[in-house]
Amino acid sequence: MAAQTQASLLLLKQLKDLSKSPVDGFSAGLVDDSNIFEWSVTIIGPPDTLYEGGYFNAIMSFPENYPNSPPSVRFTSEMWHPNVYPDGRVCISILHAPGDDPSGYELASERWSPVHTVESIVLSIISMLSSPNDESPANIEAAKEWREKRDDFKKKVSRIVRRSQEML
Amino acid sequence: MDSEDDDFHSGGTGMESDEGDADYGFVENDSDDSDDIIYHRHQNYTILGEHDIIRLQMEDINRVSQVLSMSRDDACILLRHYKWSVNRVHDEWFADEESVRKAVGLLEKPIEMPRSREMTCGICFEVYPCNRMRSAACGHHFCNSCWEGYIGTSINDGPGCLMLRCPDPDCSVAIGQGMINVVATEEDKKKYARYLLRSYIEDNRKTKWCPAPGCEFAVDFVLGSGSYDIICKCSHSFCWNCTEEAHRPVDCRTVARWILKNSTESENMNWILANSKPCPKCKRPIEKNQGCMHITCTPPCKFEFCWLCLGPWSDHGEKTGGFYACNRYEAAKQEGMYDETERRREMAKNSLERYTHYYERWATNQASRQKALSDLQDMQAVQLEKLSDKQNQPESQLKFIIEAWLQIVECRRVLKWTYAYGYYLPESEYAKREFFEYLQGEAESGLERLHQCAEKELQGFIEAEGPTKEFNDFRTKLAGLTSVTRNYFENLVRALETGLNDVGPSSHLAACSRTSGSGGSISRAKSGKSKVVRSSAFRPGGPSRSSSDDGTHWSCGRCTFVHVNPSNICQMCGHQRQTCAHPSDNQ
Repeated sequence: MAAQTQASLLLLKQLKDLSKSPVDGFSAGLVDDSNIFEWSVTIIGPPDTLYEGGYFNAIMSFPENYPNSPPSVRFTSEMWHPNVYPDGRVCISILHAPGDDPSGYELASERWSPVHTVESIVLSIISMLSSPNDESPANIEAAKEWREKRDDFKKKVSRIVRRSQEML
Repeated sequence: MDSEDDDFHSGGTGMESDEGDADYGFVENDSDDSDDIIYHRHQNYTILGEHDIIRLQMEDINRVSQVLSMSRDDACILLRHYKWSVNRVHDEWFADEESVRKAVGLLEKPIEMPRSREMTCGICFEVYPCNRMRSAACGHHFCNSCWEGYIGTSINDGPGCLMLRCPDPDCSVAIGQGMINVVATEEDKKKYARYLLRSYIEDNRKTKWCPAPGCEFAVDFVLGSGSYDIICKCSHSFCWNCTEEAHRPVDCRTVARWILKNSTESENMNWILANSKPCPKCKRPIEKNQGCMHITCTPPCKFEFCWLCLGPWSDHGEKTGGFYACNRYEAAKQEGMYDETERRREMAKNSLERYTHYYERWATNQASRQKALSDLQDMQAVQLEKLSDKQNQPESQLKFIIEAWLQIVECRRVLKWTYAYGYYLPESEYAKREFFEYLQGEAESGLERLHQCAEKELQGFIEAEGPTKEFNDFRTKLAGLTSVTRNYFENLVRALETGLNDVGPSSHLAACSRTSGSGGSISRAKSGKSKVVRSSAFRPGGPSRSSSDDGTHWSCGRCTFVHVNPSNICQMCGHQRQTCAHPSDNQ
């Protein structure tokens, strides 16, 4: 195993805590047991939302200087959401390094901070699923549909929810 | 313009009292005067070195810190937030202290860290004794190594580190230089200090870095004070407004357009110029890569012409030398009849050709300026000493030569930009165009005279056996030419900047150029100069307008000739009198 850096120690600790006391709404583990920097999480579609009942897989990749820089999160399951790029990457402000926004338009509380954990990141993603932000969309098509043809949007989302259940 | 006048006089009198050397009379005076003018005339700015910047920044921080009675750290954060404007900080603070504190991230009273023996770091979740924990004013505590990582990451991400906040997402307390200096590595501290210094120049509305590569000076500019031209201590001259090189008399917008045009077209243009000629009929560029001089343009033009003289091939036969050499071309060239410029002018109607015309001249003057600049450096480094030995003159007495070269460099720059000016001067404004081209021509020849004198004639004195009597005459001549040329160019710049408003029969510029043209005595140049400074030649409502307003005279809109008769055709150029602009003329 690689040398024990601050990042790997911290991730190991979080992994242990999560397996000891799981959190409602998602499950987390490693993609490959020898690599602490690649996590596989399954997010359960939050109740009372369009995504209810779905099981969405995502991969979290942590940089070597975690927690000073944020991980990136990418859905491997099919996803249709204004804030998820067509290739699955999640676009939320807490995953943006503070340096990305030197003019300070985003509030401090909205940007990445080293106090964030796997748990707080996944909870942010769950909250993103229940309330999309179409102001700065990552998937423009999805955002347009969300705004203008809500029925088509709903139909498409229920299709991906069904498919995610079949994949289990 | 008043300040120029002041400078002019104070420079003169200061000089007299300092040296009191009457030998060279006003000539010496004049050269010293011009020294003043070149370096200090438009002193609406200050050049700052690194030490000046640090000192000014310190002064500002101290001022805010004293007035608002807060730590220098907090004052620094506050100033940076309001772009280093002390006045704005004061205004905002005294208007609404609470909301300023909130926006900037300053707490009124620091919150103390909870006092317990051991604490858990909010980032790495490790437990540490409290002496290894640290917090900003907000009391959110983290361990030293997490602080170091947090601050280090932020500093290495760029100048955004200057607005660092507490790592707790719900807390927006600002982290200042004090914390950085306690926690960060030496390298990061230096970087942070560098960013802070840069921010003082870059975020401030009245300061900018000199844009010359490798130059570390900054400029403090008095906003709203006229000329944008700045000469840095590194000798780079640039425009405050657009930070391109200095470009009077052309405005920033034109410069931007011209530069954009050059960047997209100059490469093509160079190749086309070097390798092709335009078809005399359709003006498309043609590359001749082989074969005889009989060229047939591609359809639909299909014009047949001679590559050498660009005349129609139908005029060519045995008598003109046949296929391989065109006698018409050779003969015309030898007699000097081959009017290249007229041909050019005709072709200038085509936009590509037109652009080429101006670009070529713009680029030539640019190259010429570079050459003059390196000649000037050579003069300062080597030649001046040589001359001083040969002519037995102290170097301090040879400043007039440097003056002359500085003037040449400056004039080349102005001349260069007049070509961009000419390119954007509408074709439809005949009178302006003609007047402009006349002024430009005079400027070219005046500068040529100065350049010639500073280059060729000076060489004679450098290579001379020993001191020559003529050297004093040469001094008088060169100093005189320098001053005359300077005046001419100053007027040229002013006239172009006002958009040639005064196109009229007795423009002062024409009068001025006559002075320089006649190579008149220096005293005339001198008097001409003070006249230039004091009297504005460009009075509102120039002579042309006033004479046409009284109804008895009218001046031709194209050649500006004044008529007293009621005819509607100009006697000089046959141009139709334009009456619509002046209804009173119809009476």
